[in-house]
Amino acid sequence: MTHFKRETMKNALSKSLALITAVTLSGCGETAKGPVEITLPNKNPYPSTYKAPESPAFALIGANLLTGDGAELTNTDLLIENGKIAAIGPALALQPGTIQIDANGQWVTPGLIDVHSHMGVYPSPSTSNHSDGNEMTSPVTAEVWAEHSVWPEDPQFEKALAGGVTTVQILPGSGNLIGGRGVTLKNIPSLTVQGMKFPGAPYSLKMACGENPKRVYGSRNTLPSTRMGNMAGYRKAWIQAAEYRKSWDEYLKDSDSRSLSNTPTRNLRLETLAGVLEGDIRIHNHCYKVDEMAQMIDMSKEFGYKIAAFHHAVEAYKAAPMLAEEGICGVMWADWWGFKQEAFDMVRENIALVDYAQACAVIHSDNPIQVQRLNQEIAKAMSAGNRMGLDISAAKAIRWGTYNAAMSLGLEDQIGSLAVGKNADIVLWTKHPLSVYSLAQKVWIDGNLRFDRFDKSVQPTSDFNLGIISAGEARP
Amino acid sequence: MKKLSLFIMLLLVSLAANASSILIKGADIYSANGLLPKSNIYIENGIITTIGRSTPMSADMEIDGSGMSITAGLFNASTHIGTVEVSAISPTVDFYSENEEVTAALRISDAFNPRSTLIPHNRVHGLTHALLVPESGTNLFSGQVGLVQLGNQPKVIHNSLAMALDFTEYGVELSGSSRAAALVQLRQALDDAKDFSRNRKAAMAGEHRDYVLSYADLAALEPVVNGDKPLLVKTHRASDITTILALAKDFQLQLILSGAIEGWMVADEIAKAGIPVIMDPIHNLPNSYESLGARLDNAKLLADAGITLLFTGMGGSDTHNAYLVKQSAGNAVANGLSKSAAIAAMTSNPAEVFGATVSGDIAVNQTADLVLWGGDPLELTSEAQLVLINGEVIPMESRSFQLRDRYFKRLKKD
Repeated sequence: MTHFKRETMKNALSKSLALITAVTLSGCGETAKGPVEITLPNKNPYPSTYKAPESPAFALIGANLLTGDGAELTNTDLLIENGKIAAIGPALALQPGTIQIDANGQWVTPGLIDVHSHMGVYPSPSTSNHSDGNEMTSPVTAEVWAEHSVWPEDPQFEKALAGGVTTVQILPGSGNLIGGRGVTLKNIPSLTVQGMKFPGAPYSLKMACGENPKRVYGSRNTLPSTRMGNMAGYRKAWIQAAEYRKSWDEYLKDSDSRSLSNTPTRNLRLETLAGVLEGDIRIHNHCYKVDEMAQMIDMSKEFGYKIAAFHHAVEAYKAAPMLAEEGICGVMWADWWGFKQEAFDMVRENIALVDYAQACAVIHSDNPIQVQRLNQEIAKAMSAGNRMGLDISAAKAIRWGTYNAAMSLGLEDQIGSLAVGKNADIVLWTKHPLSVYSLAQKVWIDGNLRFDRFDKSVQPTSDFNLGIISAGEARP
Repeated sequence: MKKLSLFIMLLLVSLAANASSILIKGADIYSANGLLPKSNIYIENGIITTIGRSTPMSADMEIDGSGMSITAGLFNASTHIGTVEVSAISPTVDFYSENEEVTAALRISDAFNPRSTLIPHNRVHGLTHALLVPESGTNLFSGQVGLVQLGNQPKVIHNSLAMALDFTEYGVELSGSSRAAALVQLRQALDDAKDFSRNRKAAMAGEHRDYVLSYADLAALEPVVNGDKPLLVKTHRASDITTILALAKDFQLQLILSGAIEGWMVADEIAKAGIPVIMDPIHNLPNSYESLGARLDNAKLLADAGITLLFTGMGGSDTHNAYLVKQSAGNAVANGLSKSAAIAAMTSNPAEVFGATVSGDIAVNQTADLVLWGGDPLELTSEAQLVLINGEVIPMESRSFQLRDRYFKRLKKD
């Protein structure tokens, strides 16, 4: 009769629920009248099962904090209660029984955030059986969700944790114009991806400009084979999404003519795109070049959606005033270049210049080696900026991998800085965090110690690693 | 303060091209003999004439090097620099051959483009020398390894230092997709090269048996089987390293290993054979079944076993950003390697192993080939302030700097 799902959602997302009176059509075409409960498609059918374990209150004493939102506080205490930052200040008065960790002279930052990772979808080992990041069977695959590809045992996750990375956005690849939904994860060991999902984090949608989609589909003689083909492909998808959204809006608005027989047919692809138009799903747009960024911005206005961030934005320094004006984050590498023409105009000062123009500048890795040392990537980008005469302090630079990154994910009210009330995602470093010699010493997520360099019992290792190079060995 | 001295420095660099003498005062000098803290160095007409406190106290160009450090110029031991411009644009990619007839005979340095934009970009950040190592395209043999100097007139210093061979999963895949099959092919090729060497005249006249490889490839392998030129074998798995060590012994080859992600597991065997290893200390992921044992202290464990290390890196940036070998070295130190060993692995060791025209050291009576760093040499916040290659000051110019300056100017106006 209809594909419409009728079970009432237990997990109530208020916007998803519509209790309405309707004329229903029974199985044999007989008409029955009366109040009927209709449930809209569940917007969260694979909900997070993550719950931060309870942890006792503790305090880091006498630490040097780079707060993540631009400040440096020396010789400062940091109190954590119930997984949240409860107090920050010099010589805090602590309740008796509060665990005290001597951090005198040691450096502390918020947990690092990598907003562009393919961990789990392109895991190690990178064998073809695990290559689950790019659904390159159609240029628009908004219906696929990266979380359905994530292999939680990917050994890359624990290495990133050892580098102080507490939150990651996992994105589909860039072979498609619209590659599918991304998902934001807490970087904790879990049997299931649901156990890693950041509760309440907005969904994202990966789009890709430029060379990749036109190369993938052009080589098959299908649209797109050109940049104009790319644009036509996105626009066609948005037109369909707008129509789809309209059909649902009209259906819900017009209670007189509404019946189950005219319930719009559910379309996963268009449902995600409509979610973008409704403002629920954030656009993370792989886009290297300034001219293409301008096209994408115009297109977002044509169809009425907002772009959260341009990723791999090698030419963000050319687009910086535009990014500042539109409130779009530039998500960048420190120094990658030359692998494609669209990555040829790299300047190492890219992040510094975007920051200088007061746009939202974010570091990203897109790489399982660099996700382990985002602090070093930040150091390089800062140093390049200072070499040209900008006065960028470590406190300002660390924002690129903390607060600004959280902003691009729409999570800046929960993570990304050391501020009272925020999640206690914290890294204690062995040296200054921007030193190449520095290693994450302890990493807490929601106040729980998840990694300790000096305590083997707090060094998670994937099932994959057990006995893999010699029987009985737990780590390679 | 540091920034101020930097500006002065950049100004000085522009004057330095004409300076016949340069005095750097009070910098930490990392030489092969160890650290000379807060020392002076005097360079006259491109030659280091004195180091220490007895240097002349004035020069055409004087630099206050306090808080700074000096190392020999960076030498990345595995790159494609000058043989690729844009990786995805195939006509610019010359470091491998898809022609089955051209394997061992391929000399990557024949394709070296001294005008590549990669050269200024890397030398302004301290890279002065690089090994050009070809990749395999159709079988195990990748071709011949070259050495380039990236100075004001970039040039090939040596066009055939070693024969590169790929015995990773990738190379094996090209050669029958079985390690065992690849070994048959390899032994056959080495036997043929020996036979060719003994019967060269007859073979060239078409009066001898047929070979699988072309005459050009066999001729290229001749110095390898005669023990005159090293075979540089890229391989990762511990058991593959053991296999290659045994093969090199059988055929009495000079051997250099490259990759060696699981090298630490057979470090004693490598050390006993006295084989140097080209490696990138950054690898710690079980990224394939040949690198399950990857770990960040591989460099430390290999060095502890007494193996001479030559660094490359970092990761996939080993060509466009070949100077980032420094970042790999810094990470090796963060994971246990001594700083002096890390610096040697990207300066003096490759120079020595490959008999380069530079020593990779800071020493009196040598042509200056060095970098003045803004701070600790391995810190990523220590920018190259002054780079001398072959005694000449390098202008701090690159395409990337031009782009930067153009757009910074526009942003300042806004």
